[in-house]
Parts: sequence; C-alpha cells; structure tokens
Amino acid sequence: MRKIFILTKREFITSVRSKSFLIGLIIAPILMGGSFFVIKLTEDKVDVSDKMIAVIDHSGIMVEPLSEVLDERNQVIFDEETGERIRPAYILEIIEPAKEDLRQQRLSLSNRVRNRELHAFIEIGPEILHPGEDNEKFRIMYYAENSFVDDVRDWFSITINNQLRQLRVAELDIDSELSRDLFFGIRVEGMGLLSLNQETGEVNEAKRSNIGDAIAVPYIFMMIMFMIVMMFTVPLLSAVMEEKIERIAEVILGSVTPFQFITSKLLGSILVSLIGSGVYIFGGAITATQMGFADSVPYHLLPWFFTFLLLNIMMIGSIMIALGAACDNSKDAQSLQFPAMIPVLIPMFVMFPMLKDPLSSFSTGLSLIPPFTPMLMVVRMATPVSIPVWQPVVGLIGVILFTGFTIWISGRIFRASILMQGTPPKFMNLVRWASKG
Amino acid sequence: MSKFKQFYSLAKSDDHQGKVKKMNYTNQMNTIELLNITKTFNNHRAVDDLSLSVPKGSIYGFIGPNGSGKTTTIRMMMNIFYPDSGVIKLFGREHSGSRINNVGYLPEERGLYKKMKVREILRFHASLKNANNINQEINYWLNKFDLTDWANKKVETLSKGMSQKIQFIVTIIDRPEIIILDEPFSGLDPVNTEVLKAAILELRSDGATIVFSTHDMGVAEKMCDYIFMIHKGKKVLDGTLSSIQDKFGTDTIRIQTEGGYATLQNIPGIEKVNDFGQMQEIRISPEADSQNIIRSILSKTYVSKFETAKPSLNEIFIRIAGPEEKEVKNA
Repeated sequence: MRKIFILTKREFITSVRSKSFLIGLIIAPILMGGSFFVIKLTEDKVDVSDKMIAVIDHSGIMVEPLSEVLDERNQVIFDEETGERIRPAYILEIIEPAKEDLRQQRLSLSNRVRNRELHAFIEIGPEILHPGEDNEKFRIMYYAENSFVDDVRDWFSITINNQLRQLRVAELDIDSELSRDLFFGIRVEGMGLLSLNQETGEVNEAKRSNIGDAIAVPYIFMMIMFMIVMMFTVPLLSAVMEEKIERIAEVILGSVTPFQFITSKLLGSILVSLIGSGVYIFGGAITATQMGFADSVPYHLLPWFFTFLLLNIMMIGSIMIALGAACDNSKDAQSLQFPAMIPVLIPMFVMFPMLKDPLSSFSTGLSLIPPFTPMLMVVRMATPVSIPVWQPVVGLIGVILFTGFTIWISGRIFRASILMQGTPPKFMNLVRWASKG
Repeated sequence: MSKFKQFYSLAKSDDHQGKVKKMNYTNQMNTIELLNITKTFNNHRAVDDLSLSVPKGSIYGFIGPNGSGKTTTIRMMMNIFYPDSGVIKLFGREHSGSRINNVGYLPEERGLYKKMKVREILRFHASLKNANNINQEINYWLNKFDLTDWANKKVETLSKGMSQKIQFIVTIIDRPEIIILDEPFSGLDPVNTEVLKAAILELRSDGATIVFSTHDMGVAEKMCDYIFMIHKGKKVLDGTLSSIQDKFGTDTIRIQTEGGYATLQNIPGIEKVNDFGQMQEIRISPEADSQNIIRSILSKTYVSKFETAKPSLNEIFIRIAGPEEKEVKNA
C-alpha cells in the first residue's frame, strides 16, 4: 500500500501540475457553457432593420390581405415601455408577374436579394385558394439565400395560410364572429407526473415538462462523463508508452509489481477525475441555481453518477494502460486509441434516440451492456422518466464485474508487453499476451 | 563432440566443483539461487535449464554474447519475468509475484522521469524502496559522484554519463543487500567507470552481494569473484577466473618478434594467432610442443619476448561464442 500511495501521489501531482489539466478544467466548462451563454447573450440581439420582401402573386388574392396584416404587424415591433424597436418591419414590394419570361424575372429578383436590395421574394401560385390537380399551380415559394432557417418564411407561411382559411370561410358565408373560433388553436402542454410527498403526505403538483429536464440534464451528465473519461484516461496510453520507450517502466518495475504500477496509475486518474468532475458538477449546480434552475439539478443522481464515473475511469483507464504498454511508437498508439474509446463513443451516438424513449428495449438493452452502462444508465436515470429500480442495480453489478475482468486482462497484457520492443500490438498479439500473461 | 558441447559439459562439472568450493570456502548461504530455470518467448528458448548459486558478499560477473539470455535471467531474478519452470530463491526463499525489498536493480536500458529534478527523483525512488536516512544518503552519493551542483536541476539537463550515475544512485540509495546491475559500465568514460567501480567495491565491502553483466572482459577478470557465462540460454562457464582458466590449460603463448604477425603464419602446431600489433597471442593445438614452435619461430625471426600463459577471459569468451565455435558446430 505504501508503494501504491507513493506512486499515486506522483501521478496525481504530475497530472494536476500539467497544463492540460488546468486548461481542461477551465476551457472545457467554457466551451460547454459558452455556447449556452452566447445564446443567452445574443437572444435579444435581433436584427431590427427593415426587411424588404418582394411578392409575385399569380393568384391576385393575397396582396391586399397580406398588406393589411403587415400594417398591423409593423405597428407592434416596438417595446411598449421603452419604445425601442425590438423586431424588424416587413415591407412588401408587389411585383407584377412577368407575362413572358418568368425565369428571367426570378433571376433578376435573385440578384436583387444577392445585392441586399431585398431580403427575399415570394411567388404565390395561381390556384392557392382552391388547389386543383396540378401541383405546380398552388405552390408558394420563398426565395432567399438561407430560406431553410429564415424566420420570415415561417411568418409568411402562417399568415398566408390563415388568410386563405379566412377567404375560404368567407366563401361559405358563415358569420365572421362564429368563424373566429375556427382559427383558435390550443397547444397541448407537456406535464410531468404528480407525486406524493413522503414526509408531509401532500400531493406534489406536476411540473411543466421542459427542455432542461428532458434533454439538458441528461445531456450535461453525459458530456461531463465523456469529457472526464477522455481527459483523464486517454493520456494514460501515451504516458505508459512514453515510460516504456524511455525505459522508465523497467526501473520502476525493479521496485514495484505490475499490479502496484497499474493500480497507482488508475488511482492517480481517479483522483484527478474526481477533482475535474467535482468542479464541473458543483460549478454547474451553482450556476443552475443562480440562473433559477435549482429544481432541475438532480442531486439524488450524484452518487450514481460518481460511482459509474469511477468505474468507467477504471475500465477505460486500465485498457489504455495495457495498450500503452503494448505500443512502442505513436503510430501504433493512434491506431489503437480509437477502438479503445468505443465504450464512450457509442453512448454519444445513441444518446438522442435514448433520450426520446429511455424505456424502449433498445435503450434498456444497450444500457445493460457493461462497457456502455456507466454513461447510458446515467443518461436514462437523468431523464424525467422513471427507470425500473432493478436496472441501475443490475447495471452496476455488471460494470463492477466487467471492470474487474478488464483490469485483470489489462494487467496480463501490461506485464507481458511492457518490456517488449519491436513487437507490434496486433490483435492476435494482444490476445496471446492476455491469455499467457 | 563439438567445442560448444565440450565447453558445456566442462561448465557443468565446473559448476559442481565451484559450488563445493564455495561452500567450503565461505561456508555461508547463497544469497541468490537459480534452480533449473527455463524461459521461452515465442518458441525461442531464451534461458534453458539454468542453475546458479551466488554466495553472500560476492561479486558475480555475468558474461555472454548479445542475446544469450543474460538480461532475461536478471529479469527473472527480479521477478519482472516469471520462469516457465524452475525455482528462483533470493535470501533463501521464493518470492513469486512480489517485489523483494533489499534488492537494487539497474536495468540495461536506463530511464528516469526527465521533468523531475535530480534530488526529487532520488527522493521518489528512495521512498519507494523505503530507504533510511534519505537526505543523508542522497547527499553522500551526490557528493561521491560529483553531482551535488546538479541536485536541483532537471534530469533532462544532465549528460548521459551523469544520468547513468544518477541511475546508479537510484539503484543503491537504500543500501540493498543484493545489487543487480545490467551492463553498469556501458557508455561511461574511463574516469566515471573508475568512480563506479570504486562505488561497487565499497558496497561489497559493506556486505552487499553484487551481480553484474558486462561485455568488458577486463572488468570481469579484475572485479569478479566468480564468473558466469551464458550462451544460447545455457550456462557454459561458472566459477572463479582461475578455475575457469585451469580448464582451458596453458595453451597460449604471448610473443613479441621483429617480424611480427607475418612470420607466425604457416608454422605447424599453431592453431590461431591473435594479432595485437606490437604483440601476438598464439593458441597452440593440444598435441603440439611449445618448444618446437619456438624453435620454428626463432629460425625465421628475432624473438624479444616469449611467455606461455593461460587464456584470458576474452580469449575463452571468443573460443566459446566466436565464429570459430559456429564453424566447428556446423561441421
């Protein structure tokens, strides 16, 4: 134990003194929180300059209603208190459809958009009120440089369709007061479930479900575990390989056993990862509380998170140590690094389908496969959905057993290969070292 | 019987006699004992049924060509490799799977953490070895190796020779009872070689048992109480220098002539001539008469110096491991 403590201390001090640790501790949260901060910072920074939109109306029925709606809209683009403009005004430029060369007209309008004279132009088909069999005649096309993510397009889509409905209703000769309700849509609100407060016996009201609980919390847990594993286990591969190439390993192995060597490396990584994850988790919790999202922080999940994190560090870390011992050049190390990271990469790929349905057989099955369990079980547990209690327990037992097995196999590969030079770490060699020890 | 087999059988009998001699000579326990150890890597038998006993307080020299199994044997002594079969005992007992305290090991390829400072790395290794009086020992050895001024410098700033001396201090910082050194003198200049030799002898005089491998036959002859040679994984020599030389008889003539190397060609009875420029070393065939040979030489040139001698360790090494041995074996 004394030797493990001395080696662990050296590993720990070397890690926390390294620039990568300090940078990782500071830069990673900035990158993670930065995008959120930038969104918050820029959400009020809307471009409020006038947007000129040209309209070619083949139907001849839309110009007037559109102009009326726009006049109303352009009245409410100012802040009621400050009078400051908070939205852009939409200004229509009505274009008569060309009688001969329509394509030339479209090209010329496109060039005006490119020259910033127009924001976009809309072409309304001739049969939009009563669509016939010819699809081309009831199309409404919005031409802009980036029309897919253009809010203006959404506004016109809603507005034109509302106007069409009104025109169609008017044709039916229904009282406009009665027809008003036809256009009154009611959103289905997403709510959580009610629960019983065990202490007071009172019924807790259901919370309104939100993007934070449904996606952000599991996503943040996943990202923290991913970053911690990447930051503190992947470097073990190059560190051990360097100790092998620099012949430091044999000097150390003159004083300690391979088991003590590997254990101290893992313990060193666990200690620094605890610091890293502690900073992220508690920093995130404080930030969330400050921003009014205290209810969204799942404190009850933290013991599970840290338990799975430590097991994940031990599992991936021991694999990295074994592969570092097997490599004697950076080319080999690079080629082995990717397969070794599969236990953290696969969960990243399947995270979103899993968030959508955490109780599906796909989600349950995959989260019970030990290499993926630490990340996926935490993600599932972090969603608002209740996971059956047995699943995290079975997952934990599986991960403990698998981690023990991984460390044992890694130890054998390490011992067989750490002093071996010039033997490439091919799959069959790794299998041989693992089997022979 | 090939010369190799001849030497092998000779080594076996020599080993037996050596053991008896050692027991009678010192009547003390063997600090290191290897009993019929074998180690195979990928169908290559690196060490083959090797037995060895190292008496307490002795200096034991390991010699052998590159790839003969010296380092593998040393690593098995250190429990870094496990033998496929056989028993290894240090201090009279087996230590399978554990590191043994009181054993210092200097590997053939040295390695230190480059970013650590000299004193820091010495403290680190001393702590690992549970050494006593760490500061005192560090100061003593740094001073002895003239490295005191470098104590607070990073390892990466040291020259190769300095690093090697630091590596040696790392090995012996806890004053171990067994010191195993794999090629301790390689890469050192003559001055540092002498300093290191003196340190090894000092540790021996303090009671340590020392095993070291070397390619420098001169060092092995002068420093070692016992010499052990391994060739192709098998033990081929084991005993004191004189007992080994005795087995090879007085078949060597050292001669200095006016005509030099050229005049020694085509003389009956001369098996081989080693030319050293100013002097030649002649190996005579077993049935030849040295008097007839000197008469033949005198008839051709003026002889200024002539002596019969036992073969040097270098000569014995070459006879066992040199190209000649291969020729004989393949014949």
